[in-house]
Amino acid sequence: MIEITRQDFSLDEMVKRAKRVDAGAVVTFLGTVRDDGIKAMELEAFQEAALPELESIRCEAMSRFDLKSVEIVHRIGLLSVGDNIVAIVCSAGHRDEAFLGCRYIIEELKKRMPIWKKEIGENGERWVGRE
Amino acid sequence: MLVKVRAFAGFREILGKELELDAREGSTVADLLGELASSNSRFKESAFDSSGRLQDYVLLMVNKKRIDPLQDLSLVMHQGDELAIFPPVAGG
Repeated sequence: MIEITRQDFSLDEMVKRAKRVDAGAVVTFLGTVRDDGIKAMELEAFQEAALPELESIRCEAMSRFDLKSVEIVHRIGLLSVGDNIVAIVCSAGHRDEAFLGCRYIIEELKKRMPIWKKEIGENGERWVGRE
Repeated sequence: MLVKVRAFAGFREILGKELELDAREGSTVADLLGELASSNSRFKESAFDSSGRLQDYVLLMVNKKRIDPLQDLSLVMHQGDELAIFPPVAGG
């Protein structure tokens, strides 16, 4: 399943969905809001463009690394320090493919997915990655 | 012709989330950006350098497909097309 949501998600549920009898490895990545002296973080997406991009990344990863299944959830909206931002769960026959596939997905997502983050601090706000 | 403009992140704060431009037939992406700049000084200052060149952190999509701001500014827009303007992405 691929999803962009304002709601929090359950990594356990994602792992359950990703498990396959022919998969001996499930690798998860969970990205969370880091305390860089901020109060909150606001995430905004171009949803109609982000979902197809995410689907492309998922398909590329499945074929390149022979993954059995891929689950990706990315949150938008106002998040606090420690909140979940993104989760990726990859299952594969063996751990190498699962690790490589998961790494590929998070790196491509960061480069390609039209989502933006604004850090909200005591002294103001700043969009991440502009310069 | 009417063209939809959608802006995200910092550009949304300057231009608004979505607007419709009534552009003349044959207008290019560059023409639309120029119109936006002439009607909104904050956008002009943010998106263009002092010599009038588009800043390299201005990214564009036409009908949800990325275009190259260095090569595709001469792309002709059509009635109902959508131009999206946004800064570099920062997901994850």
